[in-house]
Amino acid sequence: MPTLEVNDLRIRYTRSGPEILKGVSFNVEKDDFFAIIGPSGAGKSTLIRCINRLVEPNGGQIILNGKIITNMGKHELRAARRNMGMIFQEFNLVERMSVMDNVLSGRLGYVGTFRSFLRWYPRSDIQRALELLEKVGLADFVDKRADELSGGQRQRVGIARALIQQPQLLLVDEPTSSLDPKIARDVMRMIKSMSQDAGVPVLCNIHDVQLALEFSNKVIGLQDGVKKFDGPTGAVDKSTLDEIYAMEVL
Amino acid sequence: MSEAVYGSKFQQILSRRKKHKAIRYALYGVVVILVLFSIESTIIGDTDWDRIGTIGSVFRALARFLPPDFSLFAQLLKPTIETFMIACLGTMLSLILAIPVSWFAAYNITPYRPITYPIGRGIMTLSRSVHEIVWGLIFVSAVGLGAFPGILAISMRSIGFISKLTAEAIEDIDPGPLEAIRSTGANQLQVILYGVIPQILPVYLGNAIFQWDINIRRATIMGLVGAGGLGLTFHRQLVMYNYGGVTTVIIAILFLVGIGEVGSYYGRKAIL
Repeated sequence: MPTLEVNDLRIRYTRSGPEILKGVSFNVEKDDFFAIIGPSGAGKSTLIRCINRLVEPNGGQIILNGKIITNMGKHELRAARRNMGMIFQEFNLVERMSVMDNVLSGRLGYVGTFRSFLRWYPRSDIQRALELLEKVGLADFVDKRADELSGGQRQRVGIARALIQQPQLLLVDEPTSSLDPKIARDVMRMIKSMSQDAGVPVLCNIHDVQLALEFSNKVIGLQDGVKKFDGPTGAVDKSTLDEIYAMEVL
Repeated sequence: MSEAVYGSKFQQILSRRKKHKAIRYALYGVVVILVLFSIESTIIGDTDWDRIGTIGSVFRALARFLPPDFSLFAQLLKPTIETFMIACLGTMLSLILAIPVSWFAAYNITPYRPITYPIGRGIMTLSRSVHEIVWGLIFVSAVGLGAFPGILAISMRSIGFISKLTAEAIEDIDPGPLEAIRSTGANQLQVILYGVIPQILPVYLGNAIFQWDINIRRATIMGLVGAGGLGLTFHRQLVMYNYGGVTTVIIAILFLVGIGEVGSYYGRKAIL
Protein backbone atom coordinates (compact mmCIF):
# COMPACT_ATOMS: atom_id res chain seq x y z
CA MET A 1 0.00 0.00 0.00
CA PRO A 2 1.42 3.41 -0.89
CA THR A 3 1.88 5.92 1.95
CA LEU A 4 0.03 8.62 0.05
CA GLU A 5 -2.50 8.18 -2.69
CA VAL A 6 -3.75 11.17 -4.64
CA ASN A 7 -6.61 10.55 -7.07
CA ASP A 8 -7.94 13.02 -9.60
CA LEU A 9 -7.28 16.07 -7.43
CA ARG A 10 -9.07 19.19 -8.62
CA ILE A 11 -9.24 22.71 -7.30
CA ARG A 12 -10.34 26.16 -8.26
CA TYR A 13 -10.09 29.07 -5.84
CA THR A 14 -13.19 30.87 -6.99
CA ARG A 15 -16.30 29.39 -8.50
CA SER A 16 -15.82 31.07 -11.86
CA GLY A 17 -12.02 31.23 -11.76
CA PRO A 18 -9.62 28.98 -13.63
CA GLU A 19 -9.02 25.43 -12.47
CA ILE A 20 -5.62 25.36 -10.76
CA LEU A 21 -5.31 21.58 -10.59
CA LYS A 22 -7.04 19.63 -13.33
CA GLY A 23 -7.26 16.09 -12.03
CA VAL A 24 -3.81 15.17 -10.72
CA SER A 25 -3.13 11.60 -9.54
CA PHE A 26 -0.01 9.96 -8.14
CA ASN A 27 1.23 7.66 -5.39
CA VAL A 28 4.03 8.18 -2.87
CA GLU A 29 5.70 5.04 -1.54
CA LYS A 30 7.28 4.55 1.87
CA ASP A 31 10.85 5.35 0.81
CA ASP A 32 10.22 7.98 -1.85
CA PHE A 33 11.77 11.40 -2.14
CA PHE A 34 9.30 12.89 -4.56
CA ALA A 35 10.14 16.12 -6.37
CA ILE A 36 7.37 18.17 -7.96
CA ILE A 37 8.79 20.38 -10.67
CA GLY A 38 7.21 22.76 -13.13
CA PRO A 39 7.06 26.41 -14.16
CA SER A 40 5.75 29.02 -11.72
CA GLY A 41 1.98 29.10 -11.65
CA ALA A 42 1.75 25.40 -12.48
CA GLY A 43 0.02 24.68 -9.15
CA LYS A 44 2.91 23.14 -7.21
CA SER A 45 2.28 25.01 -3.96
CA THR A 46 -1.45 24.50 -4.25
CA LEU A 47 -0.92 20.76 -4.72
CA ILE A 48 1.21 20.51 -1.57
CA ARG A 49 -1.29 22.55 0.44
CA CYS A 50 -4.16 20.36 -0.70
CA ILE A 51 -2.54 17.28 0.84
CA ASN A 52 -3.05 18.54 4.40
CA ARG A 53 -6.02 20.67 3.36
CA LEU A 54 -4.55 24.06 4.16
CA VAL A 55 -6.28 24.62 0.84
CA GLU A 56 -9.56 22.79 0.33
CA PRO A 57 -9.69 20.75 -2.88
CA ASN A 58 -12.94 20.77 -4.87
CA GLY A 59 -12.68 17.24 -6.08
CA GLY A 60 -10.65 14.06 -5.94
CA GLN A 61 -9.33 11.97 -3.13
CA ILE A 62 -6.30 12.05 -0.84
CA ILE A 63 -5.52 8.91 1.14
CA LEU A 64 -2.77 8.81 3.77
CA ASN A 65 -1.97 5.28 4.99
CA GLY A 66 -5.44 4.08 4.20
CA LYS A 67 -7.26 7.03 5.75
CA ILE A 68 -9.23 9.28 3.42
CA ILE A 69 -8.18 12.84 4.25
CA THR A 70 -10.59 14.51 1.86
CA ASN A 71 -13.81 13.61 3.67
CA MET A 72 -12.63 14.09 7.24
CA GLY A 73 -14.37 16.45 9.67
CA LYS A 74 -12.50 19.22 11.45
CA HIS A 75 -11.50 17.12 14.43
CA GLU A 76 -10.30 14.14 12.41
CA LEU A 77 -8.44 16.46 10.05
CA ARG A 78 -6.46 17.96 12.93
CA ALA A 79 -5.46 14.48 14.04
CA ALA A 80 -4.44 13.63 10.46
CA ARG A 81 -2.38 16.81 10.15
CA ARG A 82 -0.25 15.65 13.05
CA ASN A 83 0.97 12.90 10.76
CA MET A 84 2.16 15.32 8.09
CA GLY A 85 5.14 17.54 8.80
CA MET A 86 5.49 20.64 6.64
CA ILE A 87 8.48 22.75 5.69
CA PHE A 88 7.93 26.18 4.12
CA GLN A 89 9.63 28.50 1.67
CA GLU A 90 9.56 31.43 4.08
CA PHE A 91 10.32 29.17 7.08
CA ASN A 92 7.19 30.47 8.84
CA LEU A 93 8.71 30.39 12.30
CA VAL A 94 7.17 32.39 15.12
CA GLU A 95 9.74 35.18 15.04
CA ARG A 96 9.42 36.36 18.61
CA MET A 97 9.66 32.91 20.15
CA SER A 98 12.78 30.97 21.09
CA VAL A 99 14.23 28.28 18.84
CA MET A 100 13.23 25.64 21.39
CA ASP A 101 9.62 26.84 21.58
CA ASN A 102 9.45 26.94 17.80
CA VAL A 103 10.54 23.31 17.55
CA LEU A 104 8.16 22.32 20.35
CA SER A 105 5.28 24.00 18.51
CA GLY A 106 5.46 20.99 16.20
CA ARG A 107 3.88 19.03 19.07
CA LEU A 108 0.88 21.35 19.41
CA GLY A 109 -1.42 18.73 17.94
CA TYR A 110 -0.61 16.48 20.89
CA VAL A 111 -0.77 18.86 23.86
CA GLY A 112 -3.97 20.46 25.13
CA THR A 113 -4.80 24.12 24.66
CA PHE A 114 -4.20 24.96 28.32
CA ARG A 115 -0.86 23.21 28.45
CA SER A 116 0.24 24.84 25.21
CA PHE A 117 -0.71 28.25 26.66
CA LEU A 118 1.66 27.65 29.56
CA ARG A 119 4.17 26.00 27.19
CA TRP A 120 4.07 22.90 29.39
CA TYR A 121 5.39 20.23 27.08
CA PRO A 122 6.14 16.69 28.26
CA ARG A 123 9.79 16.02 29.13
CA SER A 124 10.03 13.51 26.30
CA ASP A 125 9.09 16.24 23.80
CA ILE A 126 11.74 18.60 25.12
CA GLN A 127 14.33 15.85 24.98
CA ARG A 128 13.35 14.99 21.42
CA ALA A 129 13.47 18.66 20.45
CA LEU A 130 17.00 18.92 21.82
CA GLU A 131 18.06 15.78 19.93
CA LEU A 132 16.69 17.20 16.70
CA LEU A 133 18.34 20.58 17.25
CA GLU A 134 21.59 18.74 17.87
CA LYS A 135 21.12 16.90 14.57
CA VAL A 136 20.52 20.09 12.59
CA GLY A 137 23.50 21.68 14.33
CA LEU A 138 21.61 24.25 16.38
CA ALA A 139 22.05 22.84 19.89
CA ASP A 140 23.82 26.05 20.93
CA PHE A 141 20.93 28.21 19.73
CA VAL A 142 18.19 26.75 21.92
CA ASP A 143 17.42 29.99 23.76
CA LYS A 144 18.00 32.35 20.83
CA ARG A 145 14.95 34.04 19.41
CA ALA A 146 14.03 32.88 15.91
CA ASP A 147 14.43 36.38 14.45
CA GLU A 148 18.10 36.38 15.46
CA LEU A 149 18.92 33.50 13.12
CA SER A 150 20.11 33.54 9.52
CA GLY A 151 17.98 32.12 6.72
CA GLY A 152 19.72 28.77 6.64
CA GLN A 153 19.50 28.42 10.41
CA ARG A 154 15.81 29.28 10.35
CA GLN A 155 15.12 26.62 7.77
CA ARG A 156 16.94 24.09 9.95
CA VAL A 157 14.62 25.03 12.82
CA GLY A 158 11.76 24.49 10.37
CA ILE A 159 13.08 21.01 9.58
CA ALA A 160 13.30 20.16 13.28
CA ARG A 161 9.76 21.44 13.84
CA ALA A 162 8.42 19.25 11.05
CA LEU A 163 10.25 16.14 12.24
CA ILE A 164 9.31 16.44 15.91
CA GLN A 165 5.76 15.66 14.78
CA GLN A 166 7.08 12.15 14.00
CA PRO A 167 5.18 12.40 10.75
CA GLN A 168 4.31 9.69 8.25
CA LEU A 169 4.86 12.11 5.40
CA LEU A 170 6.92 15.24 4.94
CA LEU A 171 5.44 18.03 2.81
CA VAL A 172 8.09 20.44 1.65
CA ASP A 173 7.21 23.67 -0.18
CA GLU A 174 10.12 25.31 -2.02
CA PRO A 175 12.55 24.87 0.88
CA THR A 176 15.44 26.58 -0.85
CA SER A 177 13.96 29.59 -2.65
CA SER A 178 14.81 32.02 0.14
CA LEU A 179 18.38 30.73 0.49
CA ASP A 180 21.62 31.18 -1.39
CA PRO A 181 22.77 28.28 -3.61
CA LYS A 182 25.30 26.73 -1.25
CA ILE A 183 23.00 26.81 1.77
CA ALA A 184 20.15 25.59 -0.41
CA ARG A 185 22.13 22.44 -1.18
CA ASP A 186 23.01 21.95 2.52
CA VAL A 187 19.35 22.26 3.47
CA MET A 188 18.29 19.74 0.80
CA ARG A 189 20.96 17.33 1.99
CA MET A 190 19.70 17.72 5.54
CA ILE A 191 16.08 17.11 4.58
CA LYS A 192 17.10 14.04 2.62
CA SER A 193 19.28 12.44 5.30
CA MET A 194 16.97 13.22 8.19
CA SER A 195 13.90 11.95 6.41
CA GLN A 196 15.76 8.78 5.51
CA ASP A 197 16.84 8.27 9.12
CA ALA A 198 13.25 8.77 10.28
CA GLY A 199 11.90 6.57 7.49
CA VAL A 200 9.56 9.30 6.24
CA PRO A 201 8.72 9.77 2.57
CA VAL A 202 9.06 13.30 1.23
CA LEU A 203 6.89 15.23 -1.19
CA CYS A 204 8.90 18.25 -2.14
CA ASN A 205 7.97 20.93 -4.60
CA ILE A 206 10.96 22.70 -5.98
CA HIS A 207 11.46 24.92 -9.00
CA ASP A 208 15.23 24.35 -9.13
CA VAL A 209 15.47 21.43 -11.56
CA GLN A 210 19.09 20.70 -10.80
CA LEU A 211 18.44 20.26 -7.08
CA ALA A 212 15.33 18.24 -7.85
CA LEU A 213 17.24 15.79 -10.02
CA GLU A 214 20.08 15.58 -7.53
CA PHE A 215 18.05 14.66 -4.46
CA SER A 216 14.86 12.96 -5.60
CA ASN A 217 14.23 9.39 -6.70
CA LYS A 218 10.91 10.24 -8.37
CA VAL A 219 9.69 13.29 -10.22
CA ILE A 220 6.31 14.74 -11.08
CA GLY A 221 6.23 17.37 -13.77
CA LEU A 222 3.32 19.78 -13.45
CA GLN A 223 2.27 22.19 -16.14
CA ASP A 224 -0.73 24.45 -15.79
CA GLY A 225 -2.45 22.09 -13.36
CA VAL A 226 -1.87 18.99 -15.44
CA LYS A 227 0.56 16.19 -14.67
CA LYS A 228 2.93 16.00 -17.64
CA PHE A 229 5.41 13.53 -16.25
CA ASP A 230 5.53 10.98 -13.46
CA GLY A 231 8.44 8.60 -13.14
CA PRO A 232 11.82 7.80 -11.67
CA THR A 233 14.33 10.64 -11.64
CA GLY A 234 16.64 8.66 -13.92
CA ALA A 235 14.04 8.80 -16.69
CA VAL A 236 14.01 12.60 -16.81
CA ASP A 237 15.92 13.85 -19.83
CA LYS A 238 16.11 17.02 -21.83
CA SER A 239 12.98 16.32 -23.86
CA THR A 240 10.82 15.75 -20.76
CA LEU A 241 12.06 19.01 -19.26
CA ASP A 242 11.39 20.78 -22.54
CA GLU A 243 7.86 19.48 -22.46
CA ILE A 244 7.21 20.43 -18.83
CA TYR A 245 8.61 23.92 -19.28
CA ALA A 246 7.27 24.39 -22.82
CA MET A 247 4.70 26.98 -21.82
CA GLU A 248 7.01 29.10 -19.73
CA VAL A 249 7.29 32.63 -21.01
CA LEU A 250 9.12 35.47 -19.38
CA MET B 1 8.27 62.37 -32.19
CA SER B 2 7.74 64.92 -34.88
CA GLU B 3 8.02 68.66 -34.25
CA ALA B 4 4.28 69.28 -34.49
CA VAL B 5 3.28 66.40 -32.21
CA TYR B 6 5.91 67.49 -29.71
CA GLY B 7 4.56 71.04 -29.76
CA SER B 8 0.95 70.03 -29.20
CA LYS B 9 1.97 67.67 -26.38
CA PHE B 10 3.83 70.54 -24.74
CA GLN B 11 0.77 72.81 -25.01
CA GLN B 12 -1.40 70.10 -23.54
CA ILE B 13 0.84 69.69 -20.49
CA LEU B 14 0.94 73.47 -19.99
CA SER B 15 -2.81 73.86 -20.07
CA ARG B 16 -3.30 70.93 -17.71
CA ARG B 17 -0.90 72.45 -15.19
CA LYS B 18 -2.72 75.74 -15.45
CA LYS B 19 -6.03 74.03 -14.70
CA HIS B 20 -4.59 72.27 -11.63
CA LYS B 21 -3.27 75.59 -10.35
CA ALA B 22 -6.71 77.17 -10.70
CA ILE B 23 -8.33 74.32 -8.75
CA ARG B 24 -5.73 74.63 -6.00
CA TYR B 25 -6.29 78.37 -5.54
CA ALA B 26 -10.04 77.84 -5.51
CA LEU B 27 -9.60 75.33 -2.66
CA TYR B 28 -7.44 77.78 -0.69
CA GLY B 29 -10.16 80.36 -1.12
CA VAL B 30 -12.84 78.02 0.21
CA VAL B 31 -10.74 77.20 3.31
CA VAL B 32 -10.13 80.90 4.06
CA ILE B 33 -13.85 81.70 3.72
CA LEU B 34 -14.76 78.81 6.07
CA VAL B 35 -12.30 79.98 8.72
CA LEU B 36 -13.55 83.57 8.55
CA PHE B 37 -17.14 82.40 8.79
CA SER B 38 -16.37 80.26 11.87
CA ILE B 39 -14.60 83.15 13.61
CA GLU B 40 -17.52 85.45 12.88
CA SER B 41 -20.22 83.11 14.14
CA THR B 42 -18.50 81.57 17.20
CA ILE B 43 -16.11 84.18 18.58
CA ILE B 44 -17.45 87.54 17.47
CA GLY B 45 -21.11 86.62 17.66
CA ASP B 46 -21.11 84.30 20.68
CA THR B 47 -18.87 86.05 23.20
CA ASP B 48 -20.37 88.25 25.91
CA TRP B 49 -18.08 91.19 25.21
CA ASP B 50 -19.49 93.35 28.00
CA ARG B 51 -18.29 90.95 30.71
CA ILE B 52 -14.71 90.72 29.55
CA GLY B 53 -13.97 94.30 30.48
CA THR B 54 -10.51 95.74 30.15
CA ILE B 55 -7.25 93.87 29.67
CA GLY B 56 -6.41 94.79 33.25
CA SER B 57 -9.46 92.99 34.63
CA VAL B 58 -8.57 89.86 32.68
CA PHE B 59 -5.18 89.80 34.38
CA ARG B 60 -6.73 90.56 37.76
CA ALA B 61 -9.00 87.56 37.38
CA LEU B 62 -6.06 85.35 36.47
CA ALA B 63 -4.04 86.68 39.41
CA ARG B 64 -6.60 85.33 41.85
CA PHE B 65 -5.25 81.85 41.11
CA LEU B 66 -1.95 82.82 42.76
CA PRO B 67 -0.38 82.02 45.08
CA PRO B 68 -1.29 78.32 45.42
CA ASP B 69 -3.04 77.35 48.64
CA PHE B 70 -0.47 75.02 50.20
CA SER B 71 -2.61 74.30 53.25
CA LEU B 72 -4.52 71.94 50.96
CA PHE B 73 -1.51 69.70 50.43
CA ALA B 74 -2.23 67.17 53.17
CA GLN B 75 -5.76 66.61 51.89
CA LEU B 76 -4.53 66.03 48.36
CA LEU B 77 -2.48 62.90 48.96
CA LYS B 78 -5.40 60.50 49.07
CA PRO B 79 -7.25 61.78 45.96
CA THR B 80 -3.95 61.92 44.04
CA ILE B 81 -3.27 58.26 44.75
CA GLU B 82 -6.90 57.48 43.98
CA THR B 83 -6.63 59.21 40.61
CA PHE B 84 -3.52 57.25 39.78
CA MET B 85 -5.22 54.00 40.75
CA ILE B 86 -8.32 54.81 38.71
CA ALA B 87 -6.09 55.25 35.67
CA CYS B 88 -4.13 52.04 36.33
CA LEU B 89 -7.11 49.81 37.10
CA GLY B 90 -9.20 51.35 34.32
CA THR B 91 -6.43 50.66 31.81
CA MET B 92 -5.96 47.09 33.05
CA LEU B 93 -9.67 46.36 32.86
CA SER B 94 -9.85 47.78 29.35
CA LEU B 95 -6.84 45.68 28.31
CA ILE B 96 -8.71 42.55 29.32
CA LEU B 97 -12.00 43.62 27.77
CA ALA B 98 -10.26 44.68 24.56
CA ILE B 99 -9.02 41.13 23.89
CA PRO B 100 -12.38 39.62 22.86
CA VAL B 101 -13.36 42.85 21.12
CA SER B 102 -10.23 42.89 18.95
CA TRP B 103 -10.63 39.17 18.27
CA PHE B 104 -14.18 39.80 17.01
CA ALA B 105 -13.23 42.91 15.09
CA ALA B 106 -10.20 41.53 13.22
CA TYR B 107 -11.49 40.61 9.79
CA ASN B 108 -9.10 37.69 9.26
CA ILE B 109 -9.66 35.76 12.51
CA THR B 110 -13.15 36.81 13.64
CA PRO B 111 -15.01 33.63 14.69
CA TYR B 112 -18.09 34.09 12.54
CA ARG B 113 -17.73 37.00 10.13
CA PRO B 114 -21.37 37.98 9.41
CA ILE B 115 -22.19 38.32 13.13
CA THR B 116 -19.09 38.73 15.28
CA TYR B 117 -17.31 41.23 13.03
CA PRO B 118 -20.07 43.88 13.18
CA ILE B 119 -20.42 43.28 16.93
CA GLY B 120 -16.72 43.95 17.46
CA ARG B 121 -16.70 47.03 15.24
CA GLY B 122 -19.89 48.30 16.91
CA ILE B 123 -18.47 48.06 20.44
CA MET B 124 -15.38 49.87 19.19
CA THR B 125 -17.36 52.77 17.74
CA LEU B 126 -19.64 53.02 20.77
CA SER B 127 -16.68 53.13 23.13
CA ARG B 128 -14.91 55.83 21.17
CA SER B 129 -17.83 58.05 20.34
CA VAL B 130 -19.00 58.54 23.94
CA HIS B 131 -16.90 61.00 25.96
CA GLU B 132 -15.32 59.80 29.23
CA ILE B 133 -17.36 62.34 31.21
CA VAL B 134 -20.55 60.91 29.71
CA TRP B 135 -19.39 57.38 30.55
CA GLY B 136 -18.70 58.70 34.06
CA LEU B 137 -22.22 60.08 34.37
CA ILE B 138 -23.69 56.79 33.18
CA PHE B 139 -21.71 54.70 35.67
CA VAL B 140 -22.23 57.10 38.59
CA SER B 141 -25.95 56.72 38.11
CA ALA B 142 -25.53 52.96 37.75
CA VAL B 143 -23.18 52.10 40.63
CA GLY B 144 -23.10 55.28 42.75
CA LEU B 145 -20.39 57.80 43.63
CA GLY B 146 -16.71 56.99 44.16
CA ALA B 147 -13.72 55.58 42.35
CA PHE B 148 -15.45 52.48 40.99
CA PRO B 149 -17.61 54.26 38.37
CA GLY B 150 -14.45 56.17 37.41
CA ILE B 151 -12.61 52.93 36.75
CA LEU B 152 -15.50 51.62 34.67
CA ALA B 153 -15.80 54.86 32.71
CA ILE B 154 -12.07 54.96 31.94
CA SER B 155 -12.04 51.36 30.80
CA MET B 156 -15.12 51.74 28.61
CA ARG B 157 -13.57 54.76 26.95
CA SER B 158 -10.26 52.94 26.35
CA ILE B 159 -11.61 49.70 24.89
CA GLY B 160 -12.28 51.30 21.53
CA PHE B 161 -8.80 52.71 21.05
CA ILE B 162 -6.91 49.61 22.20
CA SER B 163 -9.07 47.12 20.34
CA LYS B 164 -9.10 49.20 17.15
CA LEU B 165 -5.32 49.32 16.94
CA THR B 166 -4.98 45.70 18.06
CA ALA B 167 -7.51 44.49 15.50
CA GLU B 168 -5.67 46.40 12.80
CA ALA B 169 -2.39 44.83 13.91
CA ILE B 170 -4.04 41.39 13.72
CA GLU B 171 -5.23 42.13 10.20
CA ASP B 172 -1.66 43.01 9.20
CA ILE B 173 0.10 39.92 10.56
CA ASP B 174 2.19 37.59 8.44
CA PRO B 175 -0.09 34.62 7.63
CA GLY B 176 2.89 32.27 7.20
CA PRO B 177 3.36 31.24 10.85
CA LEU B 178 -0.42 30.70 11.16
CA GLU B 179 -0.27 28.27 8.28
CA ALA B 180 2.69 26.49 9.86
CA ILE B 181 0.99 26.18 13.25
CA ARG B 182 -2.24 24.99 11.62
CA SER B 183 -0.34 22.34 9.68
CA THR B 184 0.91 20.74 12.91
CA GLY B 185 -2.67 19.79 13.76
CA ALA B 186 -3.16 22.64 16.24
CA ASN B 187 -6.68 23.85 17.04
CA GLN B 188 -7.93 27.39 16.36
CA LEU B 189 -7.10 28.63 19.86
CA GLN B 190 -3.57 27.27 19.62
CA VAL B 191 -3.17 28.93 16.24
CA ILE B 192 -4.09 32.25 17.86
CA LEU B 193 -1.83 31.61 20.87
CA TYR B 194 1.22 30.73 18.78
CA GLY B 195 0.62 32.41 15.45
CA VAL B 196 -1.22 35.63 16.25
CA ILE B 197 -0.36 36.75 19.78
CA PRO B 198 3.45 36.76 19.49
CA GLN B 199 3.15 38.89 16.39
CA ILE B 200 0.88 41.55 17.90
CA LEU B 201 2.18 41.61 21.48
CA PRO B 202 4.55 44.57 21.00
CA VAL B 203 1.83 46.66 19.38
CA TYR B 204 -0.66 45.72 22.09
CA LEU B 205 1.70 46.59 24.94
CA GLY B 206 2.79 49.83 23.26
CA ASN B 207 -0.84 50.90 22.95
CA ALA B 208 -1.49 49.87 26.54
CA ILE B 209 1.23 52.20 27.78
CA PHE B 210 0.07 55.04 25.56
CA GLN B 211 -3.49 54.57 26.76
CA TRP B 212 -2.41 54.45 30.41
CA ASP B 213 -0.69 57.79 29.93
CA ILE B 214 -3.87 59.27 28.46
CA ASN B 215 -6.00 57.68 31.18
CA ILE B 216 -4.06 59.47 33.92
CA ARG B 217 -5.25 62.73 32.34
CA ARG B 218 -8.78 61.40 32.02
CA ALA B 219 -8.84 60.20 35.62
CA THR B 220 -8.05 63.71 36.88
CA ILE B 221 -11.40 65.00 35.63
CA MET B 222 -13.57 62.01 36.56
CA GLY B 223 -14.31 63.65 39.92
CA LEU B 224 -16.23 66.47 38.20
CA VAL B 225 -19.14 64.05 37.81
CA GLY B 226 -18.55 62.34 41.15
CA ALA B 227 -16.50 59.45 39.85
CA GLY B 228 -13.58 59.82 42.29
CA GLY B 229 -10.09 61.25 42.32
CA LEU B 230 -8.65 64.75 42.11
CA GLY B 231 -11.47 66.10 40.00
CA LEU B 232 -13.77 66.16 43.01
CA THR B 233 -11.30 68.24 45.06
CA PHE B 234 -10.85 70.50 42.03
CA HIS B 235 -14.57 71.01 41.73
CA ARG B 236 -14.93 71.71 45.45
CA GLN B 237 -12.21 74.40 45.41
CA LEU B 238 -13.82 75.99 42.38
CA VAL B 239 -17.31 76.23 43.89
CA MET B 240 -15.82 77.59 47.15
CA TYR B 241 -14.09 80.33 45.07
CA ASN B 242 -10.78 79.15 46.58
CA TYR B 243 -8.76 79.83 43.43
CA GLY B 244 -5.45 79.26 45.22
CA GLY B 245 -6.70 75.75 46.02
CA VAL B 246 -7.54 75.21 42.36
CA THR B 247 -3.93 76.02 41.50
CA THR B 248 -2.71 73.50 44.08
CA VAL B 249 -4.87 70.80 42.53
CA ILE B 250 -3.56 71.70 39.10
CA ILE B 251 0.00 71.29 40.43
CA ALA B 252 -0.92 67.83 41.72
CA ILE B 253 -2.38 66.98 38.29
CA LEU B 254 0.80 68.18 36.58
CA PHE B 255 2.79 65.96 38.91
CA LEU B 256 0.67 62.92 38.02
CA VAL B 257 0.84 63.63 34.31
CA GLY B 258 4.61 63.94 34.67
CA ILE B 259 4.70 60.46 36.20
CA GLY B 260 2.68 59.24 33.22
CA GLU B 261 5.13 60.77 30.76
CA VAL B 262 8.19 59.33 32.47
CA GLY B 263 6.55 55.95 33.04
CA SER B 264 5.45 55.58 29.43
CA TYR B 265 8.89 56.65 28.17
CA TYR B 266 10.62 53.87 30.08
CA GLY B 267 7.83 51.38 29.43
CA ARG B 268 8.05 51.91 25.69
CA LYS B 269 11.83 51.59 25.79
CA ALA B 270 11.52 48.26 27.61
CA ILE B 271 9.27 46.85 24.87
CA LEU B 272 11.48 47.88 21.94
